[in-house]
Amino acid sequence: MREIYDAVVIGGGPGGYTAALYCVRAGLKTILLEKLSAGGQMALSTQIDNYPGFEEGIDGFTLAEKMQAQAERFGAETELADVFGAELEGPVKTVHTSEGDFQGRTLILAAGAFPRKLGLSEEEQLIGRGVNYCAACDGMFYKGKTVAVIGGGNSAAADAMVLSRICEKVIVVHRRDTLRATKIYHDPLMKAENVEFVWNSEVTGLLHGDKLTGLKLHNRATGEDSELSVDGVFVSIGRIPASELFRDVLKTDGAGYIVADESTRTNIPGVFAVGDIRTKAVRQVVTAAADGAVAAHYAEEYLAEHKSAALA
Amino acid sequence: MAAINVTKQNFHDYAAEGKGLVLADFWAPWCTYCRRIAPAFEKIAEQYAGELTAVKVNVDEEPELAQEYQVEVIPTLILFRDGKAAGTVVAPDSKAAIEAFIEEYGRNR
Repeated sequence: MREIYDAVVIGGGPGGYTAALYCVRAGLKTILLEKLSAGGQMALSTQIDNYPGFEEGIDGFTLAEKMQAQAERFGAETELADVFGAELEGPVKTVHTSEGDFQGRTLILAAGAFPRKLGLSEEEQLIGRGVNYCAACDGMFYKGKTVAVIGGGNSAAADAMVLSRICEKVIVVHRRDTLRATKIYHDPLMKAENVEFVWNSEVTGLLHGDKLTGLKLHNRATGEDSELSVDGVFVSIGRIPASELFRDVLKTDGAGYIVADESTRTNIPGVFAVGDIRTKAVRQVVTAAADGAVAAHYAEEYLAEHKSAALA
Repeated sequence: MAAINVTKQNFHDYAAEGKGLVLADFWAPWCTYCRRIAPAFEKIAEQYAGELTAVKVNVDEEPELAQEYQVEVIPTLILFRDGKAAGTVVAPDSKAAIEAFIEEYGRNR
């Protein structure tokens, strides 16, 4: 059996590595479990321009490697492990992984969220080659071009607005005949001269050579199939938090996000939720990183209290 | 042992009759997901040293090899046994997924 860590962090994105950095700098023995490589969602972003300190921007993978190196410089360990399950209750928490069990007196959940995909073949391979999931991140690559936005909720409407200011033409493809988005989005979108709508339609295929060239559409109302030429597509049909393994014991909201306030404390003492996996209003690299610092503070406080309780 | 960059000139020196298992990563510098799997691939190269040889094929520089093994999307991993392709996986999502792939196709049958 391995030693018991002060903090076990699950997830190697900006929230996880910032938590690890603050934990080790507070003197906590810390290990971070990541299934593939540092970065999480931002690792697929080719240019991050809204993380302060990088005036020319930086690609997400490089930023992630820097965050990892910084945490490891102070003694944080990384294990490339796929987490299968966890026991969160009690003074020592156990995490079951592909590399065996890890135990910690505190557990910081930073497993993030992933964009819901269309579920089409070759979608994964076309990421960065026409298929996108974040208008705020990747919209600038389509300056003066034609793009499609898939979805009809608030984030799809917001993405379409952002893109309408950058792109030549924006085509919103939605499976219903009206937007599900809040009313405040409707007017400006309907009035925007370069925004068009394709209603009652689902994307059934991706047309491409090296890069995406268009979409195959199926109209649910008429049964007709058609093709739509675009330079890029922004998939905006929701996000899925990676909280599935913990939902039986941790409180989550309707969408599966772990309920925790700005303190990052969950309903189980010693278990913290940071970044995109937590219920929060703004999901950005910088807010995930901020959560990591906060979680380390409360983890340290929790450990101090429990140490004195054990001695009393 | 670290993963070896191979070309069409030397690839068949590694993947050949009697040479056992070779795990090839078909990748390109512009492919963001290829960068994500690279650290796990290097770790596997070390972990499985002696059991298999890990090689990397840059498909921009070695289009003939990509064509020979019908690699149309990247990252693609192909496991060769005695020079013959035994299995293929596209864009594995964890180090554990790559190991499961090796276990599945690397066993003698």
